[in-house]
Amino acid sequence: MSAALQSTLPGQLAALAASRPDDVALREKRLGIWQEISWKNYLAEVAATGRMLRELGVGPGDHVAILSDNRPEWLFADLASQGIGARAVGIYQTNPPADVAYILQHSGSRVLFCEDQEQVDKVLELGAETPELQHIVVFDPRGTRSYDEARLRPWSEFIARGRELLATEPGWFLDEIERRRPAEPTMVVYTSGTTGQPKGALLSSKNVVATARSMAPVLGLQQGDSLLSYLPLCHVAEKIFSLFLPLSTGAVVHFGESIATVREDLRDVSPTIFLGVPRIWEKVHASVLIKMQDSSWLKRTLFDFFSRKGRAAAERRLAGKARLTDRVTRLLGDLLVFRALQEQLGLRRCHLPCSGAAPISRDLLLWFHGIGVPIVEGYGMTECGGVSHITPPGRAHLGSVGPVIEGTQCRIADDGEILLRGDNVFAGYLHNPEATEDTVRDGWLHTGDIGEEDANGYLRITGRKKEIIITAGGKNLSPEKIENALKTSPYLREAVAIGDGRKFISALVQVDYETTASWADRRDLPYTSYADLTGKDEVRALVGEEIGRANELLAHVEQVREFTILGKELHQDDGELTATQKVRRQAVMQIYGELIEAMYGGKAWSN
Amino acid sequence: MAVVTATAEPGSLLSLHGVSLAFSGVRALRDVSLDVTEGSLAAVIGPNGAGKTSLFNCISGVYQPQQGTLRFAGHDLRSLRPHRIAASGVARMFQNLALFDQLTVLENLLLGCHHLYGSRWWDDLLWRRRARSQEVSHRRRAEQVIDFLDLESYRRKPVGALPYGVLKRVELGRALCMQPKLLLLDEPAAGLNQEETEDMARYLLDIKEEMGVTQIIIEHDLGLVMDLADSVLVLDFGREIASGSPATIQNDPAVIEAYLGRPAQQEPA
Repeated sequence: MSAALQSTLPGQLAALAASRPDDVALREKRLGIWQEISWKNYLAEVAATGRMLRELGVGPGDHVAILSDNRPEWLFADLASQGIGARAVGIYQTNPPADVAYILQHSGSRVLFCEDQEQVDKVLELGAETPELQHIVVFDPRGTRSYDEARLRPWSEFIARGRELLATEPGWFLDEIERRRPAEPTMVVYTSGTTGQPKGALLSSKNVVATARSMAPVLGLQQGDSLLSYLPLCHVAEKIFSLFLPLSTGAVVHFGESIATVREDLRDVSPTIFLGVPRIWEKVHASVLIKMQDSSWLKRTLFDFFSRKGRAAAERRLAGKARLTDRVTRLLGDLLVFRALQEQLGLRRCHLPCSGAAPISRDLLLWFHGIGVPIVEGYGMTECGGVSHITPPGRAHLGSVGPVIEGTQCRIADDGEILLRGDNVFAGYLHNPEATEDTVRDGWLHTGDIGEEDANGYLRITGRKKEIIITAGGKNLSPEKIENALKTSPYLREAVAIGDGRKFISALVQVDYETTASWADRRDLPYTSYADLTGKDEVRALVGEEIGRANELLAHVEQVREFTILGKELHQDDGELTATQKVRRQAVMQIYGELIEAMYGGKAWSN
Repeated sequence: MAVVTATAEPGSLLSLHGVSLAFSGVRALRDVSLDVTEGSLAAVIGPNGAGKTSLFNCISGVYQPQQGTLRFAGHDLRSLRPHRIAASGVARMFQNLALFDQLTVLENLLLGCHHLYGSRWWDDLLWRRRARSQEVSHRRRAEQVIDFLDLESYRRKPVGALPYGVLKRVELGRALCMQPKLLLLDEPAAGLNQEETEDMARYLLDIKEEMGVTQIIIEHDLGLVMDLADSVLVLDFGREIASGSPATIQNDPAVIEAYLGRPAQQEPA
């Protein structure tokens, strides 16, 4: 087997298609039924896509953009581009037209794969802003057939032509793969950009293949694993779980019906590996609590009792002080409550529930450990292929993201910044050598995160270097820690902690409309809209109570003394959130400057 | 079943001529004519009580007009009972939703396929191949409609628990499951918010483009009508006051008068 087959992603696909041609590689729910795609057909589709891309003039070093929800065609387009030496660029569907234009221009993409009419309209609206874009391939052409636009073509036509071309030269794609070098950049992942314009990180097969291969045994991954692909594939975290790991182990990736059906799809698939960002886990937690409030007295009591016991037991277990009685309660709890709950959530078979992409609160982790979903945390960033630290299952230290992965070195700089070195460190930012030089110095990737390592080599992240709050009293605090404590409440969806140069910490909070509305319904509290609901004194009292509870998890100086409930939900279109739904702290603080000043002008809400 | 050779204009799927309907003294429709070309989207507009829904009721056989001819795809509709008319390819989306609250979305959609069942009861009882293959093909049809109208996340939810905007979509879906040649849409956008109205417009255009189904729409949202319709018929007090393309209708003085009233002749001193 040649080097290319072992060490590039398309090569790994070709190897799997040769060794396990008829095994299932992908499943997609279409018309209510899970349709299967074998490894052989997976490769065939990728090859046809690659052949057709070349026909359209895409060559090594060119860029191919993908603006779509997760679906098998996303992977076909990505791997096909990589196979012919081009670079796949993912664009978030939620991006407003200006952001789509930025990425298309900046990458100079020649071909764009588009989900549907909505996305096509967005791109066509850009008109002359994207002169290099020559072809738009539409996965679901419904509604676009009558468009008078020469660049458009439906996916069905595109792939059929690719298959036709390939029929005369069946070995073409494998030859192309053979020519690939592991170190050549094959993907551009635009980072979410909480500050400034997004930057395109160039990743190569070298950055990700070896990592995935070394991670698999540590995490106990096997051939028979199954995953659900539902987080945006533009983000490196989902790429790890939909591409890098499955291509290393041969696990089956599932694509559900739509983003609205994730809960049902999860229950259908019951994946053995599941990646959630903290927001997802917070949502699961909130939905369980709300469901329980509406259930019978018996169920509620059992759930309360066992989740409390489970949490205490989890805390002891993690501290290495497990008791024999813990096992008994766990068994009983599993039998009476948790088994059914886990089945409902679709997490019954899950042996690797992961959280990543953003910090998660310790309290939430404990709760999940307590109900038998032992979430492991990982750490990484786009610039290191998405992962540098991961907690091996069963050896979690809460609050820590685990030891550094094999093949990567981690060092803490004098100012506390986490530095990384290894094969997974990226090749640089696209068209931005200054930013590259700024980020990688002397071979060390400067992560911008502050952290510390314990005696076992477990890394603890304490905050973002740029976002540390230094209070008027001179204390260095991490806003993220405070915000995560607040977001543990099912009623609080977002929080922005403020306190840089101030006497005390305050917070702007956004309530979770769904859970708060359900809370109001149960109290017969009438409301008309989000703004109306959040303006109610009762809701303010509820939020006050929740913040009081969160304050118990925080040190005295970190406690939130004043808060304001935002009258609207933060939104990407208003520049308040990134495409990955992270808060743009600076923007929010600017937009709501008056609200913030008002909090420091008046008397503190509590002391 | 009386089959009449089509005498209507070439290309027209439905043609009504001189249709009049009266309930004792009330003349709901007076000499109304309408030709709908196959694959087009026609609109019927008019103030409340103009006779729009009565016209739909005549087409679907609920009312028997006293005068006039109604021809649909070679059938004389006056000689057909309502269920025969439905079987011949006329489906209807009701203004006040004709759904079963306790059934799920999927079950409601499958009910739309009901008139297409051709198996005998003993086939069903013994679950013979004919019954099975029929069940599968209807389920496939329902799933296609679910996919078309983005109803995946509601598939297993009882209809009674769904918001109104979704119910409208399910109602449209139920009509689509009947595999109609002609779709009668009675105020599809009534009660919908801006976003839902835009979605509905999108669906109606897609039905036309992708499925080629002929549609007649009754709608009060004139913006929607002007954007979607190929031809418009305006009724007032049961009488046709104008017909033609949306552009001509918009400038027709009789239409303006019916909607806005006559300008005051004299300003009172």
